[in-house]
Amino acid sequence: MTASDHTGPERDDDALAAEYVLGVLSADERQVAAQRVERDPVFARLVDAWQGRLSPLAAGYAEVEAPVSVKAAIDRRLFTRGAAQEDRGGLWSSLAFWRGLTAAAVAALVLATAVPYLGTPPSQPQTELVASLAAEGSDVRYVAVYDGGRNEVRLSRLAGQLAPDKDFELWLIEGKNAPVSVGVVPAGATARLVPSAPVQQKLAQGAVLAISLEPKGGSPTGQPTGPVVAAGDLKNI
Amino acid sequence: MTPEDIAKLIVRTSLKDRAAFDLLYRQTSAKLFGVCLRVLSDRGEAEEALQEVFVKVWTKADRFAISELSPMSWLIAVARNHAIDRIRARRRPAADIDAALDVADPAPGPEAMAVAGGEADRIHRCLEELEQDRADAIRGAYLKGESYVELAERHGVPLNTMRTWLRRSLIRLRECLER
Repeated sequence: MTASDHTGPERDDDALAAEYVLGVLSADERQVAAQRVERDPVFARLVDAWQGRLSPLAAGYAEVEAPVSVKAAIDRRLFTRGAAQEDRGGLWSSLAFWRGLTAAAVAALVLATAVPYLGTPPSQPQTELVASLAAEGSDVRYVAVYDGGRNEVRLSRLAGQLAPDKDFELWLIEGKNAPVSVGVVPAGATARLVPSAPVQQKLAQGAVLAISLEPKGGSPTGQPTGPVVAAGDLKNI
Repeated sequence: MTPEDIAKLIVRTSLKDRAAFDLLYRQTSAKLFGVCLRVLSDRGEAEEALQEVFVKVWTKADRFAISELSPMSWLIAVARNHAIDRIRARRRPAADIDAALDVADPAPGPEAMAVAGGEADRIHRCLEELEQDRADAIRGAYLKGESYVELAERHGVPLNTMRTWLRRSLIRLRECLER
């Protein structure tokens, strides 16, 4: 049995994820694990899986009414700073909105409920496709939404950093054809790209999107030159 | 409220809809306060923690979308993580958690049952396959956020032994749940 303690890093990560979720780690170990959750999507998935596995134990928590003063204090903290807070709301909501749509791709639960709730008019069947972009061995994670109505690809970076002398470039891959550039991804946590007409058509049919690491300004050859740091399928929502 | 309703409220909260946030608070704060109380075993501190948990829910509601958890599990994870971080930052744990609060063996509320569903039976059956003291350690650690140090002390074993025990038990638990 002792051998089972040392069967490689994957198992260690899974055990670490379990310990983190269970809550037995020290303050320092928890901090390290929490940072990994932010940076490492593979580890984050292990943690999520354990959260899910152990969640029935939460039935052991009694429901206890909190004093009214708590909600009042929350509202004071969140809503009394006035305009500054509200202004941030705009940016946050757009980011949140696109991440909200990812939920649709990730969880059927939210797909079924949130999207109609967000006020998408059902009478307007615009193409809207979503892709969650990630790759093994890379900490870069993006969500891409192709909005056929506005003809734009919206990107939201969930994780990963870019070196100052590099750019991310977004590619469309259709079957066995050579990748077609959608464009260099503008800097920032959220970005928009307007694809050319032929790319647009292919996007609307659903394809694989990939992000590669390129020299500043994008690939000099018209084909990816650097490693693919994230990729995923465009799915209909 | 169904899990779908709670999911809608979280998504609307991520869009900075205050009415949705208020309703989300009304529907879920009792459970999350229960989490904070159980882990922190101090009312004042639990009230502060609950504030911080809902501030996090407001600012990080968009994260719910990228997790694969059910809405209640996601909220409970936010609350547990926060309360456990808080208790770890403390020098010494409160004297006796169960004595300080009469919340040792509550009957699960209807919402908890709805969330847990048939999964609850399975995890309890799988815990029963473990040695009793290890199953107790897992349950206790989950509910109270006990650290390895505390568990080792309580079970009178060296810390590394505790860690090996618990790691093995968790792996066996996973294997049982995946069977």
